[in-house]
Amino acid sequence: MALEEYRQDMETCCRCSACKFIPFENVKGFANVNVCPSIGRYNFHAYSGGGRLGLGVAMLDKEIGLSEKLLEVVYNCQMCGACDVSCKYAMDMEVLEPINEMRIECVEQGRTLPVFEKIMASLRKKGVTPVAGGSRGDWLDGLHVRDCTKEKVDVIYHVGCRTRLDRGMWNVARATLSLIQNTGVSVGIAGARETCCGGRAYEIGYKADFLTQAKKNMATIRASGAKTLVTGCAECYHAFKVLYDRFGLKQGLEVLHSTEYLARSIGEGTLKPRKKVDLSVTYHDPCHLGRLGEPYVHWHGKQIPGHIRLFNPPKEFRRGTFGVYEPPRTVLRAVPGLSLTEMDRIKEYAWCCGAGGGVRESNQELASWTARERVREAEATGAEAIVSACPGCEKSLKEAVRGRKSRLKVYDVVELVERAIS
Amino acid sequence: MALAKGQYAAFEDVLGPENISADPVILYPYSWRSGLYAGVDKFTPRFEAAVLPGSAEEVQAVVRLCNRFGLQFKASSTGWGPYNDASGPGVIKIDLRRMNRIVEINETNMYAVVEPYVVGAQLQAELMKRGLNCNQCGAGTNCSALPIAAHQGIGHMSQSASYGERNQLALEWVTPEGDIIRLGSLGSSDEWFCGDGPGPSLRGLVRGSVVPLGGLGVYTKAATKIYHWPGPPTFPVEGVSPRYAPSRAPVNFSIGFYSFPSMDKLDEAQRKIGESEIALELMGFNAAMASANMATSNEEDVRLFKEFSKYVQGPCFMIIIAGNSADDFRYKMMVLEQILVETGGKAIPKLLDDPRVAAACMWRWLRSSASIREVFRASGCFGGEVGGTDLFRLMADYIFETGKMKGDLIERGLVYDDGISPFTQSFEHGHFGHGELLIRYMPNPTTFMALVGEFLPQANETAVRDHFGVPGHVFGDAAHEIYGPHCSNYHLWLRRIKGAFDPKGASEGSHYITVKDEQ
Amino acid sequence: MVPPSTLSGVLRARDVSLDPDVLEQYSADLSFAHRIRPECVVRPRTADDVQRIVNLARESGTPLVPISSGPPHFRGDTVPSTGGAAIVDLSGMKKIVRVDRKNRVALFEPGVTFGELKAAVEKVGLRLNMPLLPRASKSVAGSLLEREPVTMPKYHWDIADPLGCVEVVFGTGDLFRTGAAAGSGTIEEQWAAGGAQKEAAGPSSASWYRLIQGSQGTMGIVTWVSARCELLPRMEESLFIGSSRPDPLMRAVHWLIRLRLANECLLLNNTSLGLIVSEKGPDGYQRIKESLPPWILFFTLAAYDYFPEQRMAGQTKDMIEVTRRTGVQATRTLGSITAAAFLKTAQSPSSEPYWKLRHKGNCQDIFFLTTFDKLEGLIFGAQQCADAAGYPASELGVYIQPIVQGASCHCEFNLFYDPENRSEAERVRELSVAITKSLIARGAFFSRPYGDMTGMIMNRDGASAAALKKVKAMVDPRNIMNPGKLCF
Repeated sequence: MALEEYRQDMETCCRCSACKFIPFENVKGFANVNVCPSIGRYNFHAYSGGGRLGLGVAMLDKEIGLSEKLLEVVYNCQMCGACDVSCKYAMDMEVLEPINEMRIECVEQGRTLPVFEKIMASLRKKGVTPVAGGSRGDWLDGLHVRDCTKEKVDVIYHVGCRTRLDRGMWNVARATLSLIQNTGVSVGIAGARETCCGGRAYEIGYKADFLTQAKKNMATIRASGAKTLVTGCAECYHAFKVLYDRFGLKQGLEVLHSTEYLARSIGEGTLKPRKKVDLSVTYHDPCHLGRLGEPYVHWHGKQIPGHIRLFNPPKEFRRGTFGVYEPPRTVLRAVPGLSLTEMDRIKEYAWCCGAGGGVRESNQELASWTARERVREAEATGAEAIVSACPGCEKSLKEAVRGRKSRLKVYDVVELVERAIS
Repeated sequence: MALAKGQYAAFEDVLGPENISADPVILYPYSWRSGLYAGVDKFTPRFEAAVLPGSAEEVQAVVRLCNRFGLQFKASSTGWGPYNDASGPGVIKIDLRRMNRIVEINETNMYAVVEPYVVGAQLQAELMKRGLNCNQCGAGTNCSALPIAAHQGIGHMSQSASYGERNQLALEWVTPEGDIIRLGSLGSSDEWFCGDGPGPSLRGLVRGSVVPLGGLGVYTKAATKIYHWPGPPTFPVEGVSPRYAPSRAPVNFSIGFYSFPSMDKLDEAQRKIGESEIALELMGFNAAMASANMATSNEEDVRLFKEFSKYVQGPCFMIIIAGNSADDFRYKMMVLEQILVETGGKAIPKLLDDPRVAAACMWRWLRSSASIREVFRASGCFGGEVGGTDLFRLMADYIFETGKMKGDLIERGLVYDDGISPFTQSFEHGHFGHGELLIRYMPNPTTFMALVGEFLPQANETAVRDHFGVPGHVFGDAAHEIYGPHCSNYHLWLRRIKGAFDPKGASEGSHYITVKDEQ
Repeated sequence: MVPPSTLSGVLRARDVSLDPDVLEQYSADLSFAHRIRPECVVRPRTADDVQRIVNLARESGTPLVPISSGPPHFRGDTVPSTGGAAIVDLSGMKKIVRVDRKNRVALFEPGVTFGELKAAVEKVGLRLNMPLLPRASKSVAGSLLEREPVTMPKYHWDIADPLGCVEVVFGTGDLFRTGAAAGSGTIEEQWAAGGAQKEAAGPSSASWYRLIQGSQGTMGIVTWVSARCELLPRMEESLFIGSSRPDPLMRAVHWLIRLRLANECLLLNNTSLGLIVSEKGPDGYQRIKESLPPWILFFTLAAYDYFPEQRMAGQTKDMIEVTRRTGVQATRTLGSITAAAFLKTAQSPSSEPYWKLRHKGNCQDIFFLTTFDKLEGLIFGAQQCADAAGYPASELGVYIQPIVQGASCHCEFNLFYDPENRSEAERVRELSVAITKSLIARGAFFSRPYGDMTGMIMNRDGASAAALKKVKAMVDPRNIMNPGKLCF
């Protein structure tokens, strides 16, 4: 949709500031009530969800142009969706979609950040979204697995750029693959021919590049015969499950996050964590798995004229209700010896790790600030480790742990499950 | 007009470069119209700059610079209503977001001290941990916890926890000229427990039943009375947005929603309930507000409203009873039951039958977390009538009268048809009351002109003619000039306050009053 | 100074007095205020009278000193601070204009005393939230305007309570009505519409009544006030708790107020309680005092119309739990005093002679506001001061009144002395200054400054004083209203 099609949503913003806070029913104290890292860091209203909607209207009405400052405000946002969830507790309107659409508008008008142009150039050339400080090499390290580009498989394990290109995540990839293989399914990978899901491209406004990637991926998946795709990257998960569906490309593919797959396997008895892992942990909900990971809801219709926003047919708003919150927790609880203590901001109102929306690439300072906030919050639980389910989150949190000289360890859910499998 | 370079640099010297901006990209979002009485214009006129002070001293410095440069300023905390807007050229917006500390919670002496950007939920949550609570602004827990920030500051718990004008103790005030006056015990002995004296109380200057809406300087810290909380330290909220619900209501808590055969009967009931001192909350929500609060979408709102309306026999109220002990709770429930029998109050079927639904309603109305749903979800905007604070029945009668005018607007298709039932509330155990008429509408010029050109003038005429006092919606020169001559010429005295404390008119007073030649 | 003939022209001759004996009565009071003789005494009967007086005074620059209570006076605020003043004695304005049971409010003129108003409101089942044992001649309006503490902190939501609306003639000569009384409409029209001149705030974005309250007549002359009333209970049970120190009692007080269990709730030391209940001279007082613990908390549980017995039973149970938790014990009798009898005393004005004068003939009060946790330290400090000055601390009267639903407390020291004994009087005067200074240094807040220490108290908060002067300049530009008081 073009930005104009979100005009009514943007103009419905009443300026209540709910987008800046976690849903108020969950506030349990003074601390940890902010939910938007952008305004948390920069304080001017423009940096909030509601502020950006006002900017969107100003853009449409040509009150402001696509200045450097506009790009700075538009892109200093992790696209975490927390504002969208908080707003939709009370309101029937889109928040994140118009914010994303503003980026698409900027790119279509040739206005973007140079760093993103470089990233897109790399994507177009190599089919991967580069990772700062990324590593070349083979994460498989001797593991045997089917090549889904050459043979039929039931399940594709999509590794994702941020895992493939980060040596620090290779153990997670190997563990994930091994765990899937242990359940007895026929699983394959695309290996060197795996191409980026395109999710990051979409989020930074490069819709055409996203669609290109999506089509490439779906062609590979179709050819492999796989009915199920499993990924350990939350952003890839969101791309395949939500974005591909949104643009009519998903074609019945079952998309599972590794934690969903593991939770199902544990439930079916095909995976039995038995070894004790003595560790106290707290779980960080990745935005793209949690609140943004709920299924896309297709709707085509019109707003009914009148004094109340009703639609024909009725429109079901995605409010973060059906995000993937329980499966990772179910998996963690299944690991003997592990004790889970929740942070204040969790599930649909989790604080972002800082890395999303292109912020890690374009504004390391904001990304780090955001991550350090999360680590501080994790420390307050008294847990020994923070566990997540996304390579982007884990990298971001690890850097913040180092930066704060924190005693916390950072793990992926899969790593702990691997330890528990004898 | 744009800030001269030297002026911008002066503000920057005080605040640091990251805390001031004159860029349109930063200013436009502040200018986006408020949902309250959204009018024809989408953006308020461009103003000069937005600044983010972090302390009273920085606020003072900003205010002094404004005086020096001949600029005006408009301060706001969460900035919801249109009175928060920097009104146009020559005005600096002071966004108090960085001033967000809870300075003190003094349990022994039952007060808390907050800065402007502490929101109601934060203060309430911290207090609840300690067996305490505070009144929440009725507009929502997303608003400032400062007792002098909200337009009126009446809230859901005002029945037992009063409201801003009465709860405020000491105050730190940056005057329009840039002096810092610390009221009461704060000025004399650096303590927060009293806002009055020595001698007359300067609290009389800084607010009345409504606040000066940015026109009399900046309030940078205030102490507010806090109250006992017999409930749990945190509410056991479960579920995922938007359907949160506690697993159960706390022990010794109960919520009920009743309709009455007539306003006479409701008035009798609220009076008796007040005199018995049994209610924690007593809110005259109508069926439309109840359905909007409970529904998680507009579709559901419409459906619930139709359903509830079938069972409503007349005006309604919601009541929450909380016992300090089992005996106390039993007693209060017994009294409530008796009063309902005496006054013909009937519970609205199906509304609160499900205990989980009832507990969820209770929490939302304790936390005031869903006021946004009640007024803004329909269309992003609402208007209406905000009555004053006076006797319950008088305020209810006023809203009932203005409700007839709403009926006319409904018939003409200009506003949403959610009935004309009044919204009333009782506070301080029935000693006082308040009423509002909520009018939801899709922003459009015709409705807006009908509201400001017909409805509000008629509401004003009714208030003056029929002696309903000065409603809360009265602010700004034009409105004061309607009421003042009929009300002890208060507007002339208000102008004198403005003139004495803001000789240069630096504190932007379009929603307060401005100085004019009395001739 | 307005010529007497002019005054007689606008009032009535009998309402203007130039009699030297009469003038002498108004030259001084029982405080240490300097004796200054007024030029005349005028006794208005209506608001119109007052307005005329003010306009005349404004034109001629005549200071006006409003008084609403009958003698004796104690604070010095009713004694002129400057020559050429006219006393405006409103004590003859005794109309109780309206008692409204439904809306729990009464409206009355400045000369109405507590005894008079109490009788009127009780007829309809209401009561006043009263100060402790006001003297018989004390004006209710005067007490409310002085912001005197009241004995039921549960019903003291705001420090201004129970004051409602005020009709005032400012020093400009303008008549103004505050709060809901401002309008629209006359008072009668407001009644017809269902109004009752009760809401004190406003109109609009100022609360004028707060600027008039505490002003000691320096802003204008009040011609009537309204006061919020509470219900007369159906049942009452009063109790004492005794202790050797105030702190344990204050812990109990905190919870009695916080849980809204107690109506009357106040502390006295044995000196003050002994004096209040003793009407039989110094021996009687000493006996009673010796039978009491040093500190006594007095409080009352009450039940109203609905199921009063159950209410009382429940509150009693909850009260016992409070006392158990705070380590104290309530009793119906302490020494030779029953709480029930004391309740009757506490709910009425003082019998004559005024209790503070019974012991030695005069009393210098020192009162301030503080918080519960600081109280004991401040009391101890004052006692040390007294002992050091040769005034036995055990002879100090102490009254502690929790106010504003427990947000703070009024603490009052009573220094009893024989006014005929000049050296004793001088010692008390010096001691009063010394104690006040010591209390200020320890953080006591003198919200209602009177007498010798006013200047020092006002000077401590120069910013507020400067703001008050702006207010004064608005409402009394010629400074005719009780000049020389506060910071004016």
